[in-house]
Amino acid sequence: MDIFGNIKKILVELLDIKEEKITPETYIIRELGAESIDFLELAVALNSRFKIEIDDDKIFLEKLRLYLSEAEQENKDAISYLAEKFPFLSVERIKDIAADLDEGPVLKVKDIISYISWRQGFV
Amino acid sequence: MKLKFSGKRILILGGSCEPAVFLAEYTIKAGLFPILTYRNEKGLKKISKKLYSFAGKYESVFLDFADTTSLDSMFCRINDDLDFLVDFAHGNMESLVASANEDDICRYFAENISFRAKILKRAGRVMLKKRNGRLVFVSSSAASRPNLGQGFYAAAKLASEALYKNLGLELGCRGITTVTLRPGYIDSGRGRRYMQTHERETCNITPIKRLLTCKEVAETILFFLSDSACGFNATEISMDGGLIAGK
Repeated sequence: MDIFGNIKKILVELLDIKEEKITPETYIIRELGAESIDFLELAVALNSRFKIEIDDDKIFLEKLRLYLSEAEQENKDAISYLAEKFPFLSVERIKDIAADLDEGPVLKVKDIISYISWRQGFV
Repeated sequence: MKLKFSGKRILILGGSCEPAVFLAEYTIKAGLFPILTYRNEKGLKKISKKLYSFAGKYESVFLDFADTTSLDSMFCRINDDLDFLVDFAHGNMESLVASANEDDICRYFAENISFRAKILKRAGRVMLKKRNGRLVFVSSSAASRPNLGQGFYAAAKLASEALYKNLGLELGCRGITTVTLRPGYIDSGRGRRYMQTHERETCNITPIKRLLTCKEVAETILFFLSDSACGFNATEISMDGGLIAGK
């Protein structure tokens, strides 16, 4: 099973939702309603399934807003700063995230895929 | 009453102290498999000597709160398989707050709070995989009523209690619960040494007029590990013969 298939399977089990609801473009909090405890379980499940260490802060973009505020305080370019902090995300994705912030939590299934691929050395 | 347990493998931190060894014996008799931690050869020998008749029914594993690598190797050794955790481990630091060595303060809190937080993070994640786990922290009545010179000890105990409490709050919905036991003076280790010089005054202020025994503490913890006690979560229970109840 590919990375997306594995993540989808885990999310279906954890959140008790139908598989059809999950695509790489799905927002994990906004659309699937995941809570902090779900993220903790997701990290544990990903660690178990892919045998890689999971950095919760990174994979779930937990410090995104903090980094944006740091970039502003230090007069740094926000996109470059975020690219430094989240090396598994493409610049295009980071730009999308920055433009989407006002709508709510930005984390999508494809961000998790990117992190796993990056940790496995595929990116 | 016959106690029932959801799980088998129990990690006992500070496994070489007397109440821990008593507990190990009780857990073996209850059909559980204890894994006792030790931090030096002396501790290992103590465990082996006391549990010699239970060879093969328990394990001992090295863990030093001052050595982060020992944490990795311990979790590697227990193979990420854990149902219970009982935490007796705690370093002592007796000093008046205003006279403590500043390096000692940092070291003491790093070992007794930060390191414990790392253990709880790992244990919580291991238990999450099973959606089952029970943790008991053995605190002290000194957490709420310290003697002079026990400020750092009490602070570390209170901070640790808070970590256990929050773990129970956060993971209770996933079947992982915690309870803190605050024993008073126990006829063992630190309590016994203290009693050698303070016996009369200690008995005077303790309504039951005696020390707790290791056996009593171990039996109580065994109960807290059982299914019957799962309603106790994210809370502290005093077991001090009434010590802190009066003035």
